[in-house]
Amino acid sequence: MKLHEKELRAVYTDTLIELMTENSNVVCLEADLGKSSGTVPRVWEAFPDRFFDVGVAEANMIGISAGLANEGMVPFCATFTPFATRRAYDQITISIAYAENPVKIVGTAPGITTAKNGATHMCFQDLAIMRAMPNMRVYCPADVYELRSMVKYMAASKKPEYMQLIREIHSPLFDEDYEFDPHKARVLDQGSDVTVVTTGLTSQFAREAVAMLKQEDIHAEHIHYPSVKPFDVETLLKSVKKTNAVVTAENQNVIGGLGGAVCEVLAENYPVKVKRLGARDRFGEVGDVPYLSETLGFSAKDIAAACRAMQASR
Amino acid sequence: MKIDRIESREQLDQLAKEFRFIVTDIMCRAGGGHIGGSLSLVEIIITLYFRIMNVKPDDPRWEDRDRFILSKGHAGPTLYTALAYRGYFPKELLLTLNANGTKLPSHVDQVITPGVDQTAGSLGQGLSCANGIALANKLQKKTNNVFCVVGDGESQEGQIWEAAMFAAHHKLDNLVAITDYNKMQIDAEVEKIVSLEPVVDKWRSFGWEVFEVDGHDWDEIYDTIQKAIAVKGKPAMIVAHTVKAKGNVCYENRIECHFISIPDEDERKRVIGGVCTEGDEEPFHFNWTEGK
Repeated sequence: MKLHEKELRAVYTDTLIELMTENSNVVCLEADLGKSSGTVPRVWEAFPDRFFDVGVAEANMIGISAGLANEGMVPFCATFTPFATRRAYDQITISIAYAENPVKIVGTAPGITTAKNGATHMCFQDLAIMRAMPNMRVYCPADVYELRSMVKYMAASKKPEYMQLIREIHSPLFDEDYEFDPHKARVLDQGSDVTVVTTGLTSQFAREAVAMLKQEDIHAEHIHYPSVKPFDVETLLKSVKKTNAVVTAENQNVIGGLGGAVCEVLAENYPVKVKRLGARDRFGEVGDVPYLSETLGFSAKDIAAACRAMQASR
Repeated sequence: MKIDRIESREQLDQLAKEFRFIVTDIMCRAGGGHIGGSLSLVEIIITLYFRIMNVKPDDPRWEDRDRFILSKGHAGPTLYTALAYRGYFPKELLLTLNANGTKLPSHVDQVITPGVDQTAGSLGQGLSCANGIALANKLQKKTNNVFCVVGDGESQEGQIWEAAMFAAHHKLDNLVAITDYNKMQIDAEVEKIVSLEPVVDKWRSFGWEVFEVDGHDWDEIYDTIQKAIAVKGKPAMIVAHTVKAKGNVCYENRIECHFISIPDEDERKRVIGGVCTEGDEEPFHFNWTEGK
C-alpha cells in the first residue's frame, strides 16, 4: 500500500510510533478522542508507558503537556480542533506559549472535515487565534507526505507548535522526497494571471480549480502554505508582483486566518486586490464536505469563479 | 549573605521576620502588590527552600533538583525572596520587583527568573503543569520531589480538580501539593463566595493522601511535608491553614489585603510600620547592600 492510500490519521499514528521508537522522550496525549486521531489503540498498545489519555479534560491535557515539555519530553497532544485550541486557549497561551514550553498540539477534524458533528465541533477560528499567539507556530499539512515530514520536524523543533490534522484519505500533492520547512511555501502550479493561496484542505480544492481554469486559458499560480505562521513573505510577493491579483481560500472564517495573513503582508508590502474565500463570519452546520464547502463558498468551483472574476475585473 | 539550610527556631523566626519586611518593603517601593497571599506563605516557602528542597542555586535547572510550582503565581515576591536568600540572584534584584524591564514580575515566570520552575499566574494551571513535571520525572526515573502550592480561591477553578483526578489515577507519589488556605479571596471570604468545604474530604475522595497543618507552625509544616514525601502510591495534599497577610498588622486577616496600593509616602510608612517591631521606625534597619 502506498503512503497516500492511507488516511492521514493513520500516517500521524505511524509517524508517532516511529518517533517514539527512536526517541524515548516522545510522549502521546489524548483527551478521549484518540480513536479519532488514530492513536487509540495503536500507540497506546505500542507504548503503554508513554501514552496518556487524560479523559475529557483538555485544559489539564495542555497543562500536563506543558509540564512534560518543561522537563525535556516531547509531548504530542491531540483532540478535535475546537477543543485543542479555543477551549484551552488561556492554558495554551500561558503554560505553553508564554512559558516557552515546546508542546506539539494537534487539532483533528479541522473546519468542515468534522462534517456530521456539525457547528459545535466545526472550528473556523483556530488558525486566527493560534496565529495571534506570540511564540506559537501554526501548520496545516495538505497530504500524507507533508504530514509525515511535518510531524518529524515538530518532534525535533524546540518551539511550541500547532498542527491541523485532517483525518481522511487525500490525493497526494507531494512525494516521498518532500521535506517540510516552515519558512517555505510551495508553488504547486505556476501561472501569471492570478495567485491562489491555500493551506490544508483548500490546497486540495485549489488543485481542481487550477485545472478547470487552465482549460479556459486562465493560468493561476497556486501557492500552498504548510505554515501559516511563520509566513513565507518572499514567495507570496514574488508571485504577486507577476499576477497583481490574489484569491485566498481556507477551511476557516475569512477573518484572521490565512486570508488575514496574506492581506497583512500585502497591505504592508505590495497592495493588490485580494478576494478571501472561507466561511463568511458564520458558524458551520451538519453536512458532508462537498455540501459544506459549496454552501460556505470555498469549494473548487468557488475558487475557480473567484479567479475568473478577478481576471474579468482587470 | 547566602543561606543554604536552617534548623534553629531562632534563625527561622528571624528569617520569617526579614522575609515579611522585605516582601512588604519591595511591594511598597513598587507602588503595591499582592501582600496577603505572599505573607501567608512565608513559613511554607522558607521551610521548603531552607529545610526540605534539594536544589543547586548556581545551577537553577539542575536536572535532579526538587521542583517547586507556585500555581498561585501572584505570591511571587515571597518566592523571589527565598531565591535571593538561597543565592539564585543578588538580594538587590528584589528592589526591581515590577520595575520596567525587571526579571521579577508580579506573577512568576520561568523564562526570565532564575530558579522559577514553572510560569504561573493565570490561576488553575499550575497543578496540571506539576502533574506533567511529576510524570516526566517518573518516566525519567528520577527520585526528586515535585512541590506545588495552590491557592484556596484558585481551587474554585475546575482545572484544579481535573489535575486532582489525573494525579491520583497515575499514582503521582512524587507530587506534594499544598493549599494555602487563608480563607480569603479578592472579593470576600472564600466561604461567602463559593465554599471549598469540606476541602479535606474533597481531596481525600479524589484519591489523595491529605494532611492538615497550621501553615505558620515550623515543626508542623516540616514534619508534615516529610510525611507527605513518604506517601507511596498516591499524591499528597497538605491543607495549610494560614492567615492572609500574616505578620503585617495593617492588613493581617483583612479582606482588603489581597492587593494593596501604595499611593504615597504616608501610606508606605504606615504599611511598612505594619511589619515593624513596636518602637522601631524601620524594622531591622535592613541593609540592602549586605547581600552583595
